[in-house]
Amino acid sequence: MFFQHYCWTAVSDPCHKEKELSLPCKLIVKAVLPVFRCANVLGRNVEKCSISTSPSDHHITFQLLCKHGVVKTYNLTFQECDPLQAVFAKHMCPNILKVHSRLLADVMIHFPTSQEEITLSVTPVKVCFKSYTEEDTDFSRTMVTEIHLSPEEFDYFQVGVDSEVTFCLKELRGLLAFSEATGVPVSIHFDRCGKPIAFSIEDVLLEASLILATLCEAQKEADSQERCCPQQWGSSETHPDKPSGDEPNSTDISKHPQRDGNAPTNPVAKQEVKSIPRVTGRDVTGRAGTATAEAAGEATEAPYQKFHSLFFGAVSYKEKDATGHTFQSLATASDTEEDLGPLQSSPVL
Amino acid sequence: MSFSAPPPASGEPYVLSASLDNARHLSSLLRAVHFQDHATCFATASGLRVTVEDAKCIQANAFIQAEIFQEFAVQEESVMFRINLSVLLDCLTIFGTSSLPGTSTALRMCYRGYGYPLMLFLEEGGVVTVCKINTQEPEDLLDFDFCSTKVVNKIILQSEGLREAFAELDMTSEVLQITMSPDKPYFRLSTFGNAGSAHLDYPRDSDLMEAFHCNQTQTNRYKISLLKPSTKALALSCKVSIRTDAQGFLSLQYMIRNEDGQICFVEYYCCPDENITEAEL
Repeated sequence: MFFQHYCWTAVSDPCHKEKELSLPCKLIVKAVLPVFRCANVLGRNVEKCSISTSPSDHHITFQLLCKHGVVKTYNLTFQECDPLQAVFAKHMCPNILKVHSRLLADVMIHFPTSQEEITLSVTPVKVCFKSYTEEDTDFSRTMVTEIHLSPEEFDYFQVGVDSEVTFCLKELRGLLAFSEATGVPVSIHFDRCGKPIAFSIEDVLLEASLILATLCEAQKEADSQERCCPQQWGSSETHPDKPSGDEPNSTDISKHPQRDGNAPTNPVAKQEVKSIPRVTGRDVTGRAGTATAEAAGEATEAPYQKFHSLFFGAVSYKEKDATGHTFQSLATASDTEEDLGPLQSSPVL
Repeated sequence: MSFSAPPPASGEPYVLSASLDNARHLSSLLRAVHFQDHATCFATASGLRVTVEDAKCIQANAFIQAEIFQEFAVQEESVMFRINLSVLLDCLTIFGTSSLPGTSTALRMCYRGYGYPLMLFLEEGGVVTVCKINTQEPEDLLDFDFCSTKVVNKIILQSEGLREAFAELDMTSEVLQITMSPDKPYFRLSTFGNAGSAHLDYPRDSDLMEAFHCNQTQTNRYKISLLKPSTKALALSCKVSIRTDAQGFLSLQYMIRNEDGQICFVEYYCCPDENITEAEL
């Protein structure tokens, strides 16, 4: 419906049966942006845009038919890739907020553009956005911003569990700009800290989701039950549960030494924070929602008091076409970890 | 408002003296060719020509004819000197580059001859600035020998159609490839950058096309870094003529209308790139 004309010819490849129905590929964003530069000029000048691809020579062609008969043709190379699937079940989230992007944008404007993370804290009667600062920040030199909103400001407000989640603001700004451009409200699904938070927009024509990891901070209290438990991330699709972490990637927390005491592990936190944006495109799967059960079940390590995160790239996809290809996602808090493989279908996000 | 310069001590007249009510008429044209620090000025009774060259491959000329000036006098047959164009532009715009309506900088330019500096008297709002810029030996200029009889392909386009294209050229491409042909694609600008290729096609019947005289299919490549500065001239102009000769030399001529509606010309000449590899799609 978004397109005037949409034609897909499946190229069946005997080696990759499961990929028959899709052509996962990636383009360099910097290469694509110039094609659609100056949206306002585009509207005036461009009459039609046609996108075509020939997988055999790894090119996607964008052709813009403009005013005065001018034709712009861009042939961009793409690489095939295994797309990251976000492992996250929105419908399992106890907290759901829905709000027009204008409100969120108005809130975010008050945070300096250099602000990396913000904290969203909710109770059934109040919503608060505040800037996140490290424990060792010199408060005499920092500006801390807090914005309180009442539930009435939201189009939809559901808070099942009081929570305080901290996530990257920078990545969110892009989605907010997009949402404003499309005029579609933003839905926020989240849970306790440590679990991912999802910002999504849904419309008849398109759907977009931005799933961000949230900071899991050690509580100051000695009560360890309140702490979020670490989640073990596998390092490849075929080995979903390898807690001992053979892969030295930055999300592998099992390599970090165990700490005790109540001191939050700031040096580690800082280090992990910096590495978030680089952890994209890796073949990582994990299981959300299994944390508590898992950690309790694992005898190997005591609860960590450290920060861990996994950053998922934005996942966006067109509406399902007639052949109904499944969007693979592992969702439920199942204790049958071994069953979970990349091909298992489950409720679509 | 013009004012007379003090008479030279030796009694010799200036070999070049000119007055201009609005210095912007000169500075904006000079900016359109300002891609190197130095320029060669060549003055005759018909006007002033300022030439900038680079890499022995590209040459830009700005022509300001005598009629643009309120006063323009050249005592010898021709006067030629080399000068620092960046400094000249800084002086011409010494009162600022933003143009408030109703205000303009008046200019008087005097040159006594070989070995003497170029003198500029600039006035705005009662404030006068005097600048003396040292001149240098003129260097030999390239002669592209581009005359109308040797032109193979020629088109004239309205600049508005090219402005956006030139401003957005993929600079990761080393070359700009220009195809001109009596058949499709008629007129095509292509780049081959890191991410892929881009082509911009202008059909011969486009309403941007003022004239289309292509006799032969020609595809030539030019170093994009050399041509990119021509974007400034394109931005100022209302029309551009694009011509190539049998060897692939490129001539771009820009028709520029100044604030008073007078017409001036800027032209760029460029050699084709010698390292030609097969064009990839």
